[in-house]
Amino acid sequence: MAGRFCVSLTCAKDDADRATVAFVVANAAAASDKETVVFLSIEGVRLSQKGYADDVREAGFAPLKDLMDSFAKAGGKIYVCSPCFKKRGLDEGNLVPGAAIVGGAKLVEFLGEGTPSLSY
Amino acid sequence: MKMNASAEPSECDVSCDVGDAGCGDLAVELKARMSSLRPGQVLNVTARDPGAPEDIPAWCRLTGHGLLAARHPEYRIQKKEN
Repeated sequence: MAGRFCVSLTCAKDDADRATVAFVVANAAAASDKETVVFLSIEGVRLSQKGYADDVREAGFAPLKDLMDSFAKAGGKIYVCSPCFKKRGLDEGNLVPGAAIVGGAKLVEFLGEGTPSLSY
Repeated sequence: MKMNASAEPSECDVSCDVGDAGCGDLAVELKARMSSLRPGQVLNVTARDPGAPEDIPAWCRLTGHGLLAARHPEYRIQKKEN
């Protein structure tokens, strides 16, 4: 069964529990043959930087870096909100695998045709 | 290829124990294990997560693999034809 799935994530270390569960669910979608995007905006864009998630480990869950690596390996894509990224002065040359800086049009295009989206 | 559609184990099956993996971790485990099987081959999975009785049938419906038997924590999944 083909189809798309979007997980919207607005936090990073400010709420590591949400950030972790978002990637657990994204992995469920990607591993269930859905074309899956995690959309990072607001503080969530910090997760786009290599090394940032390395020390995030929520009790009861796999380390966030492992979850993100697994997501990228399954072909999952990470859309990083361009204005949120620029506002925080992050490094375009230091993106994690699968991540791309995008504007609204790219997200809206992906969400077209009734693509479901889950927010954390 | 002769299809093994039996609910009973056969010597051609592959067995694995995914332990307590649940939710996304369970789906990732299932996808990884199934990728190494041939079409028609059967994976015997032991999955102890309490969500598995709902998640494994759902994963099979989503991916098109056949759920031959489900008796928690034991599941038999047949890889779909390409």
